[in-house]
Amino acid sequence: MATPTYDLLESVTLATSATSVTFSSIDQSYGDLVLVCNLGANNANGLSAGVRVNDSTTDYSFVLMRNSGSSTQGIGGTAGYFKFFNSAGNTSSKALHNMNFFDYSSTDKHKSVLARHNVDGTAVSAVAYRWANTNAITKLDVMTNSSSYEFAAGSTINLYGVAK
Amino acid sequence: MSLMLLGILNAQAAGGGGGAYDLLETTTLGSSASSVTFSSLGAYSDYAHLQIRYVVRGAEASSSKDHFINLNGDTGSNYSYHTLRVNLPNVVSQGYGNQSNYFIGAVAADDVGTGIFSPGIVDVLDFASSSKNTTLKTLGGNVSSNNTVYLSSGGYFSTNAITSIAFSLNSGDYLTGTRFSLYGIKGA
Repeated sequence: MATPTYDLLESVTLATSATSVTFSSIDQSYGDLVLVCNLGANNANGLSAGVRVNDSTTDYSFVLMRNSGSSTQGIGGTAGYFKFFNSAGNTSSKALHNMNFFDYSSTDKHKSVLARHNVDGTAVSAVAYRWANTNAITKLDVMTNSSSYEFAAGSTINLYGVAK
Repeated sequence: MSLMLLGILNAQAAGGGGGAYDLLETTTLGSSASSVTFSSLGAYSDYAHLQIRYVVRGAEASSSKDHFINLNGDTGSNYSYHTLRVNLPNVVSQGYGNQSNYFIGAVAADDVGTGIFSPGIVDVLDFASSSKNTTLKTLGGNVSSNNTVYLSSGGYFSTNAITSIAFSLNSGDYLTGTRFSLYGIKGA
């Protein structure tokens, strides 16, 4: 039997600039989560940002491909969170981030994420991430990497649940 | 300033589905299997497109496994695909015609740490059409000993409506815990 899904779980539109937005006590009844962010920044040079899971600062790895100008790049590495690539926009452009968290409520799998990051007129990238932890994801922090930088007012962050 | 989701801002919570994106079937392997097939797609012809979301791992120990799709049980040379993917530190492109399947990308095999699976999202466009060749596209990745992320497109050169879709690896089984979920997307 068909089950309607892709349900909006949480939606935030920033009324004032902020360094982070937190989704806690995430509903554990879905198969996947989809996080969609449309972000601006409060500084002209853009900012670094990403998503932290369950307050963990370790065990994040990634591989990405991107075009941020005249050439393509393939990069692999580790970070202290799921890092957005090509920043989170700046005062004049927005960055669209779409992240899929697979089997996020499982307790026997590392958490796999597929993402697309797009910055107005600047860059496009596709990224696979893995959080080497079998704990269920119960909390997501969408955050800048410095208290000096903030997401601009008007930025939107939406979290969806996809049944399995 | 850090803002928690406490209703400080223009926040809202919502539940329930709109019915434009429906979960149709899920297969989660309780034991290893060489393939996973959704074989009753004709029952879903009131949807415009299909999407499959998967989290997979091969049961054989090797550096990675190649992941394939066949439609309608067809193993003739009726497929083409183009892939843009990472082969660290490079981004490489490949394209092939007259293939016997649609090669999606590489996924984790059983030589990596426990709990590592590879995710992917496949879209099958206008699958019920009997006047169009079928187009597919995939976003997938494998963050393990063989790191990659890939975008691929596939063509199936038959105008038959798609009634089954089968996933398999180049050798061996899928590991227990592998999951495929099938979704229908409504059209106009």
